[in-house]
Amino acid sequence: MIASARLRPRLRGCLALLVLIPALALAGQAQAAAKKLKIGVTLHPYYSFVSNIVGDRAEVVALIPGEANPHNYQPQPADITRAMSLDALVVNGIGHDEWVGAIVKAAGRSENLPIIQANASVALIPISGDQGGAKVVNPHTFVSTTAAIQQVFEIARRLGELDPDNAATYRRNAMAYAGRIRALRAEFMNRFAGLDLSKFRCATTHAGYDYLMQEFGLFVSAVIEPRHGVAPTARQLANTIEAIKKAHVRVLFAEKTFSLDLAKPIEAATGVKVFALSHITGGTYSADEFEVAMRENLETLAEAVEYTQQ
Amino acid sequence: MASVPLNDRNVGLAAAGKVVSPASGRWESVAMVLLTLGVITCVAGYLALRPREVGPPAALSWQVRSFDGLNAVDQAIHSALLPAGEEIIWNNNDTGGWITLEHAQKIVLPPFYRDAFWKSNGEVHWQLILPGSHQAHARTPDGEVASPAQSPSQVSQATQGQGAAVYYGAGGRLPGQSAYLLVIGHAHAGVMWANQATIWVHPNPNAPYPGIVKPEALVSKGWRQVIAYDGASEIERVKGNQP
Repeated sequence: MIASARLRPRLRGCLALLVLIPALALAGQAQAAAKKLKIGVTLHPYYSFVSNIVGDRAEVVALIPGEANPHNYQPQPADITRAMSLDALVVNGIGHDEWVGAIVKAAGRSENLPIIQANASVALIPISGDQGGAKVVNPHTFVSTTAAIQQVFEIARRLGELDPDNAATYRRNAMAYAGRIRALRAEFMNRFAGLDLSKFRCATTHAGYDYLMQEFGLFVSAVIEPRHGVAPTARQLANTIEAIKKAHVRVLFAEKTFSLDLAKPIEAATGVKVFALSHITGGTYSADEFEVAMRENLETLAEAVEYTQQ
Repeated sequence: MASVPLNDRNVGLAAAGKVVSPASGRWESVAMVLLTLGVITCVAGYLALRPREVGPPAALSWQVRSFDGLNAVDQAIHSALLPAGEEIIWNNNDTGGWITLEHAQKIVLPPFYRDAFWKSNGEVHWQLILPGSHQAHARTPDGEVASPAQSPSQVSQATQGQGAAVYYGAGGRLPGQSAYLLVIGHAHAGVMWANQATIWVHPNPNAPYPGIVKPEALVSKGWRQVIAYDGASEIERVKGNQP
């Protein structure tokens, strides 16, 4: 009896510890959950990239509505509200999201919001076709696989610096995601392997696909828009039609989400066949959107190349 | 209304037209001229000495910019080497090893993976050269690698201490194509972010492996370092230095 009376306080202590330990562990978890980074993105591909890099270790927030066209977007009050609570923001930085500066400034975050420039380490290439002799930077690095992978690595590296506890996970996830993108590319490369690509000549309405073409060893002979998002004048259009005829272009790539008004007269004047590629800048944000859209793009590209073999 | 006599009116006008000189004499005009000159000098001085926006660095004589200094094929291979270099470095940080060319085939890693990209960009023959392991090669017309022309010990001696892993690409078949080096400086094994990749091109697609991969040695043998015109440079050009 005496012994059990002596043991009682110890038993109580043990019981208290048994209750406290899980409680402390849960509290730690709750704290960790509270520390999740909130990462904003400006464009659809970056939503997919960041979602695949962070997994469940951070929250991904699209800065603007999914259906908005980033080419001519006007910032809205809700965008500013979203920017106020971000821990980092991933931007293209070289085109398509110039409006982000106004949002960040209006949110009062110019000084304290880390901006991750996805293209910081991507080797840029000029827009194809005749740009009046000038070499103009092509900002569509996200419509590609290789340049997309480079951006995934850059984002993962920067996120790792901001969130060192999860840096290894981000890097591992980035490499796994890059592997999936490469496997997708390889799948279509095998389809291209037996084709003669040397005679493939194409034109594009929008200068959005140079990076994609480069990866397949294909080159764009003419771009219809004289500048990004600018419709050509009658004289410029006539010159482009002439260039298409001279280069024996057989395929014209239009933009899926844009009007075909520009492609139709060129098709009529030159006999080119029109195919539509996706710019991946509209629709619902999702982790797999990039892979889905890129698969469709590669499918279209393969069909176009196969058409030129006939 | 009473009329003023003509003589009285003349006297009144003479009184109204009297010139009153300023107390400072002619110095007011001189002061105005000096003040104007001072303002012009200040504005001109500011325009001449104002801090300029720093543009992206220009390529030095032994460098070449990827954006406007490489042809389309070299540009494509350079674009593929950049993320490959990053992945190789990360893999090295994690495992301590290097991605071999056999493994590159398994993980479909361009530009080493032999796919349509490799085919349409000159079918470059790649080798992984680790410190002390190099054996010089010559590519025969049928694409086979010939026996070493240089003893391994000679090259081994030359590369010792550099700590660099090199992916060497040569034998590209397209006109105007270069030979390539992806040099990964490996400062200390296991130290995170210690690796740095540089890419070099040589105008001779069959340029022999340079042996020593230090910049001075590469430059002396005609290799040029590729400077990527990347997004950071473009942002700097457009917006100036970013924080």
